[in-house]
Amino acid sequence: MLSIKNLKASIEDGTQILKGINLEVKPGEVHAIMGPNGSGKSTLSKVIAGHPAYRVDGGSVELDGKNLLEMEINERANSGLFISTQYPTEIPGVNNVEFLKMALNSKRAFLGLPEMGDAEFKKLCEEKMDLLEMDARYRERGVNDGMSGGEKKRNEILQMAILDPKVSFLDETDSGLDIDALRIVANGINHIMSPEKAVILVTHYQRLLDYIKPTYVHVLRHGKIILSGGPELALKLEDQGYDWIEEAK
Amino acid sequence: MNAEFIQNLPTAEQAIARLRELGMPKRNNELWSFFPVAKIPTPEFMGTDFAASTTASAASPAAPAENAAASQEADFAALLPIANLARPMVREIVAGAAEMAMLKCNNDFGHTVLDIGKGAKVSLEILDNKVTHDIAAERFDINIGEDADVEIFFANPACDLPLRFRHFNIREAAGANVRFSSICRDTAIGRVSVECHLKGEGANFDYRSLHVLDGNASQHSRLTIYHEAPRTTSTQLARNLLSGNAHVSYDGSVIVGYDCTGVNSSQLVNTILMSEDASVSVKPVLKIYHDDVECTHGNTVGELDAEQMFYLVSRGIPKKAAQEMLMRSFAQETFLPLPDSPAKKRLMAEI
Repeated sequence: MLSIKNLKASIEDGTQILKGINLEVKPGEVHAIMGPNGSGKSTLSKVIAGHPAYRVDGGSVELDGKNLLEMEINERANSGLFISTQYPTEIPGVNNVEFLKMALNSKRAFLGLPEMGDAEFKKLCEEKMDLLEMDARYRERGVNDGMSGGEKKRNEILQMAILDPKVSFLDETDSGLDIDALRIVANGINHIMSPEKAVILVTHYQRLLDYIKPTYVHVLRHGKIILSGGPELALKLEDQGYDWIEEAK
Repeated sequence: MNAEFIQNLPTAEQAIARLRELGMPKRNNELWSFFPVAKIPTPEFMGTDFAASTTASAASPAAPAENAAASQEADFAALLPIANLARPMVREIVAGAAEMAMLKCNNDFGHTVLDIGKGAKVSLEILDNKVTHDIAAERFDINIGEDADVEIFFANPACDLPLRFRHFNIREAAGANVRFSSICRDTAIGRVSVECHLKGEGANFDYRSLHVLDGNASQHSRLTIYHEAPRTTSTQLARNLLSGNAHVSYDGSVIVGYDCTGVNSSQLVNTILMSEDASVSVKPVLKIYHDDVECTHGNTVGELDAEQMFYLVSRGIPKKAAQEMLMRSFAQETFLPLPDSPAKKRLMAEI
């Protein structure tokens, strides 16, 4: 499904952040990426999405055999990639629902499907908002405009639910969520997840993984994945931190 | 009808005399420093020797009766319609009335005089005037009574008229509230000048303009707001979306008089330049003759927000559509704070 091979990327001043990432994600899998601050987790998501602030120095990222790095940013999304950043951007003045409808119909056009009409979209939107226990106010607001950190994260998962991507890369989706919101968001992700899809979660804490059971847990440090394991690895990291990995080497 | 207000309007003779005295606009006159003055044709009534007429009085027609308003008027665009014999359309809206009106001049040169009574509620849309020549000029003299609530707006379709002037002379009594809003998409040269006198305590003037220009359009705004009473307030918000070689100038003055305590005034100009050759000139002027006032001004010039563009495109929206969404949101924000009204409905629909 998603195959990342020896991915290297740097920022404008030439500093290399990703120094050879390798990751294979298969349908039905949940991968958790953990690691200290500044290790390159957020950069990885942005590089895959095509953020213009990063330059790819080498490697490949393939989704179902197609090289994402050769695609325009919107084509990557329409091919089935969804990236939720740590700090979702606020866009005042762009209505949340109009934006969602435009995004969905852009994807449908890309896939050669007919445009979804207002009534059908309204029904879909209401169904997904109910799933995430979101009230009608979200519909009237600008994209992430004036929302709290938790509201923004919930809004991101609403987009994921509507766009129905093959692979979702969720960067610290649990940050800013209170206990109830964490449960609601995690349940939403589990509901959207299916054997044909995959999720990559970036998180610092086990608490999200209590709700969303990872297939694999990876440790990203200094721009490389230095250790991979099963769900028990997250528990060990929560208990012992990261230094023991370096010491064991 | 406010007799003093009507009597103070200059006659055609007075306007011509004053124009001959002023001469044609020049770039070294601060009223016209950003304007392509060479594009203004010399009106016939000024003759070819108008520049010398102030010293050669023998060549001038008989001096008309004195008129303070005319003799102090320094704006060519304010005098031009009257000098061109625009027949004034004079209308009174009585105290307490509620009216929605549309105004359309049937000539290149138009002059509208409105006297709005105490407590009246008025929504006034100004439509494009009928144009037959290369230049058009309109003048609006609007006297607003106590506690009246007035909205003045225009959102005309793109006009390719080579040269167009619009001048507003607004006078507000105590507690009056005016919302002046406009959208301009004209493709040629134009100038909107507004002179607003806040004469009564608590009067408010809210100005919002949006220019969406392309090609060689050159549009100019000149605002002068006189706070002549305590606790008067004014807001100016001008937003510009400029492509091609388009140019906008914004020349906004706020003058706070002596003894005008508690005045609050703000001016903000936001411009997005969509091309290398588009440009904007902004000149804020604050003349404050009292200590207890709050006046601010700001100006931003930039491109579409890169992070917002990335966010939209990363959700699958094509780049061009994402740009249009951001441009539309930038434009809509100009008028979002307006109360629900015919003006807001019309302006938002136009965007």
